[in-house]
Amino acid sequence: MENIETKLREEAKRLLLEKKADVIIGYEKGTLPLTATPCFITTPEEADKLVWNNLCTQNLAKFVHDLIMMHKNSQKRVKPEDRKKKVIGVVARGCTTRSLIIHLQERQYERDEVYIIGVPCDGYLDGKGLKVAVGGADIVEGTIDGGQIKMKTSDGDKTVALKDVLADSCLTCRFNNPIISDIMIGQNAPAMNPDAEYNDVKDFEAKPIEERWAYFVKEMEKCIRCNACRQACPSCYCPTCFVEQSQPQWVGIGEDKTDTQVFQFMRLYHMVGRCVDCGSCVSVCPMGVDLRKFLKKIDKDCWELFANRAGSSMEDMPPLGKYDEHHDKEDFIFNP
Amino acid sequence: MAENLANKEWEPKIVAIVCNWCTYAGADLAGISRIQYPPNVRIIRVPCTGRINPFYIVKALQSGADGVLVSGCHPGECHYISGNLVARRKFAALKSFLNYVGVEGDRALFTWVSASEGDRFAQVIKGVTAKVKALGPAKKLIKKME
Repeated sequence: MENIETKLREEAKRLLLEKKADVIIGYEKGTLPLTATPCFITTPEEADKLVWNNLCTQNLAKFVHDLIMMHKNSQKRVKPEDRKKKVIGVVARGCTTRSLIIHLQERQYERDEVYIIGVPCDGYLDGKGLKVAVGGADIVEGTIDGGQIKMKTSDGDKTVALKDVLADSCLTCRFNNPIISDIMIGQNAPAMNPDAEYNDVKDFEAKPIEERWAYFVKEMEKCIRCNACRQACPSCYCPTCFVEQSQPQWVGIGEDKTDTQVFQFMRLYHMVGRCVDCGSCVSVCPMGVDLRKFLKKIDKDCWELFANRAGSSMEDMPPLGKYDEHHDKEDFIFNP
Repeated sequence: MAENLANKEWEPKIVAIVCNWCTYAGADLAGISRIQYPPNVRIIRVPCTGRINPFYIVKALQSGADGVLVSGCHPGECHYISGNLVARRKFAALKSFLNYVGVEGDRALFTWVSASEGDRFAQVIKGVTAKVKALGPAKKLIKKME
């Protein structure tokens, strides 16, 4: 991805010089070894900070939404003729563009308020998986070179193959190239393995019901209600989340087991037709809750019941906002 | 009092959230025609099934309902034209997800009953009560109030 990084920096510099974007959201080298963190650049000189590699984890569409909303809120008390329009540039890989499409379909902002710099993607590193692969040792420094991760750790030098520690969501990614973009940097990346995407779900569905419940309870017991998953998810953008509502109070805020189960169940249910499987929730969860086991089922149902994949194209509108009078499945209806 | 309660067989508590124009009218007709049906059901009237937030079903289960029934107008007959069609999609996804997570599929049931189907409403309630009774008392997702 070396020449993509160079082209990306040139493009960012050009955009900022020509004032086609007010801020560009991208990734820069992180402070910890083998990490990349989101960054916001506003001047052409800062464009050299941008990186694009397998360490770029977060789905940046979240920041696009946050920045645009902050800007809109700041313009509320300004006279219409004095209002300024801002364009947010974003370095977008496949799943990021899917999130942007969902925002646009749900009319969160206009298409010309965001400038999409498309980049090809072949997956990002799962930090937790890497830690397991090196046996829990502290990583002092590391580089990715030709599909191998070479590291100096507190336990000596180690090398791990990148494909062994790629995030789960990336291994079966169907949309690893941008779906919409204002400019595309580089060529499309080769496809991942999308045909295997529902295998985990199918295995889980085949288990007996008590085992499924036991697994759900076990995973949700880990949840400490930190809401990191909600904060990281680009589709979770409600100004007041249902968790924080008190009139009516849908779910308690404490750590009661059933409250946690209801919170997770409903947050995941809100993702029908909206989860783009970027894996951000899983990568930020401090407790390692296996959210994708359930989110992938939501994705599968959306495909099987409504023939829709979240954010797969601008024309494919969200499934729960429309209906098919004659073809929607009715076999779940009880008919004595 | 305590002895009387201990001797009785467990009866399920079923919450029914029904639409005002079709199912509630159907239930009314069943009542007027003196058709007998099990008394386990508690009916909540809403204007349309499209108005039902899937949260109501989950909260009912969390509060201790053994079963939840949602019933509305037949597709094509909604008083508000398309409320039940939107609801149909929502509840298909909800039922599938509830079942996947491990809450028994028969705890949340959905039917279409129209205003003239008083007899059928009684049959639906009989069927739902039998199904939920077969599953036993609800144990999952119930919040203990202290």
